Amino acid sequence: MIIIAILIGCVIGTLIGINAPVIPYTYSTFLAIAVVAALDSVFGGITSVLKKNFDLSIFISGFFCNSILSIALTYLGQKLNIDIYLAALVVFVGRMFTNLTIIRRHYIEKWMNKNEESEQQ
Amino acid sequence: MKSNIKKEKIVMSITIGIACFALMLVMFMQFKVVQQTDIMAIENMRESELRVELTDWNQKCEEINERYQEVMSKIEEYQNERESDEKTSQLLLEELSQLNEILGMTDVEGEGVVITIVDNEGKELSEDVTVERISEENLLLVVNALFDAGAEAVSINDQRIVAMSDIFTIGEEFLRVNGAKIESPYVIKAIGDKSYLENSVMGKGGEVMKLRELGHDANVSVAKKIKIDKYKNTISTKYLD
Repeated sequence: MIIIAILIGCVIGTLIGINAPVIPYTYSTFLAIAVVAALDSVFGGITSVLKKNFDLSIFISGFFCNSILSIALTYLGQKLNIDIYLAALVVFVGRMFTNLTIIRRHYIEKWMNKNEESEQQ
Repeated sequence: MKSNIKKEKIVMSITIGIACFALMLVMFMQFKVVQQTDIMAIENMRESELRVELTDWNQKCEEINERYQEVMSKIEEYQNERESDEKTSQLLLEELSQLNEILGMTDVEGEGVVITIVDNEGKELSEDVTVERISEENLLLVVNALFDAGAEAVSINDQRIVAMSDIFTIGEEFLRVNGAKIESPYVIKAIGDKSYLENSVMGKGGEVMKLRELGHDANVSVAKKIKIDKYKNTISTKYLD
């Protein structure tokens, strides 16, 4: 059921995104940082699912709040004439890699365990 | 209990679906923007790039301005030169036309006198005196007198008298001026101060009076406007260095 919801959400989002009007280039930085923040939240969510401490409210609030906050920070950075979005980018992408490592380790360990079990049998 | 779990699952599905929807929407919008934007267009340049461009163009502008000034000053110089050239050429042209007038290369007009001489050769003045032909000498003296009185242009029977002119008797028949033969009546036109000219030939001992004494018909008329044709032959020099 969750997978179906994910698929439907992805398809509708893609369709609308492709047909949406082009926004000015100046604002594309905001969108980009929002996308990175959202992706970070997604990977964080997957990690928490694997660790079995997934909380929907935390995931959703992180998903939207991080995006909006990063946009706000980028805007502030533009006003201050300093590239704050770079800092946000470093943090988000760094966290993404950490989460990806955790996910990778989890599945590799799982696979290794399976192999060992089959060998023992 | 079961329905509760189901409800929770539905809520979770819907929220995650919305999250996915939002993520994909924003992502594809961004893809589209990046794909469709021309990074080289000036509206999309970053400030630093714009600054570099601006200084670049400013420098170019300055260079071109300098060059423009240079070219302008050169043009001015040329113009001045041309003007002075024009003045020189105008002066030269004036001089040339004046010289041509003096030389007799142009038709000229002005006040002066017309002397008409009719040759009465063979007419008997008395029993043993007959009138002799008008010779080159007679005409030469008349012309000489006219030039002496300040004539600026003289012609005999429309043959302009210039530096190369000759007045010559050919055989016994006729006179020749400028290589063309002329016959009586001789019409001598002269442009100059009309009273001077008239007095020079009509006065006592004047050439016209002398011709009359010799028995020829000679008349002098004064006119305000006389037209004298140009020298019809070409003046060419062959031996002058």
